[in-house]
Amino acid sequence: MTQESPWEPGLLGFLCRWCSYAGADLAGTSRRKYPANIRVIRVPCSGRVDPLFILKALRLGFDSVLVSGCHPGDCHYQTGNYYARRRMAITKKFLEYMGVEPQRVQVGWVSASEGQKFAEVVTEVTRELKEIGPNRLFADESQGHGTEATP
Amino acid sequence: MNHKDMEQKLRREARALLEQGKVGCIIGFEAGSLKFTTTPLITSEPDATSRLVINPFIVNNLSVFLTEVKGRVGVVVKGCDSRSLVSLMQDNKVARDDVVILGIPCSGIIDLGKVEKLVGKDRDEIDDINRDGDRVVVTVDGSKKEFPISEVLFDNCLGCEFPTPQEYDILLGEPTLPPSDKYQAASLARIKQLKDMPATQRWEFWKSEFDRCIRCYACRNICPACFCQRCFVEESEPTWVLPVPRWQDNLMFQVIRNIHVAGRCTDCGECERACPVNIPLRSLTREMYNLVDELFHYKSGMDKDASPFLAAYEATDTEDFIR
Repeated sequence: MTQESPWEPGLLGFLCRWCSYAGADLAGTSRRKYPANIRVIRVPCSGRVDPLFILKALRLGFDSVLVSGCHPGDCHYQTGNYYARRRMAITKKFLEYMGVEPQRVQVGWVSASEGQKFAEVVTEVTRELKEIGPNRLFADESQGHGTEATP
Repeated sequence: MNHKDMEQKLRREARALLEQGKVGCIIGFEAGSLKFTTTPLITSEPDATSRLVINPFIVNNLSVFLTEVKGRVGVVVKGCDSRSLVSLMQDNKVARDDVVILGIPCSGIIDLGKVEKLVGKDRDEIDDINRDGDRVVVTVDGSKKEFPISEVLFDNCLGCEFPTPQEYDILLGEPTLPPSDKYQAASLARIKQLKDMPATQRWEFWKSEFDRCIRCYACRNICPACFCQRCFVEESEPTWVLPVPRWQDNLMFQVIRNIHVAGRCTDCGECERACPVNIPLRSLTREMYNLVDELFHYKSGMDKDASPFLAAYEATDTEDFIR
């Protein structure tokens, strides 16, 4: 019998190709320590992130989604992150109204020079997720598990 | 101006528009097959304009037809409908020059379901329903019963902010004032009730509501703000939501639908009325409407020259949720 390992939060990160992804890279090359709970998907811009991606990730059982892009004014495409900001604001607040914990949708600005900040954000989010526990939002009691295979 | 006078004026104007060839067809309301109810009338016959009606039961938001009808069209709109129409213009779905807007200053639509429940009779057993200021008089078996409008109007009408159309060519009556603030509470009662619950209970509530959903898409099809050529639920590569009506997929569909119509929804309440299983959808759409207003001070469908809400930004937009 193998001993069951303690639950570890799963965090899905959508990182913008110009800032946050480079920030994550810098965190790695400068040997910053942060929890290995994040899985990263590189996107061209935070403006690329459709609220559908967030819902789908939560539906698949990720404990939280982090959308991270350039600071306002720094977008490679000038304005992408401004559109993202509006979209994420309503997505996050609306999901909170429906009963989703605020920690399940995370938004951050991390620039290419902020490796330290990236490590801090991931550490902080992971700590918060350990407090609120696993995502059981879409769990199907009749099937006894929270996730389903991608259709 | 009462409904009868507005109705006469509408018939005259609609006939003239058709006869002079200013529009190819008129979209309005006519009497429905069930007592008191109305149904959309789309006609190009001048004589058919005599069937047009205006009464306190004209529920439909007729702007939904505009993306489907070709040519120049005359359309009858209430306050909320006119804003849906303006919103379609913002999205370049309808050209201002292609519509002649016949505006009705609205004083609220009576919910027949509420009336039936109050008097305990079916609609065809009710003799008459009359609006009299802040009261509605219902005549059943020769006896009259009075109810305050807070008990018989649709919830969205009680919370209406702009009952007079925002954009029109012909206004069929004098502008009306929104219902007094005291009715706001009744309009938002269910949302308040939900907000007072703990988050987990709220999620459980929506879970059980969407367990009933049969995914008929009536809410989507009746919504003037839902105009995608191809809806994400019908995408198969990738499949975002399964077509099987399971609560998880139903809920996801509705959340995304609400995000798509943010800044377009005018709280006309059509989705909730169309729902065959009575899911309180307006508690979602109205909350989104409020969020957009509170966070971004944006009200849908007020200015046809403004950028659509989600295709615009302000440098000063809220950031308090960002790390």
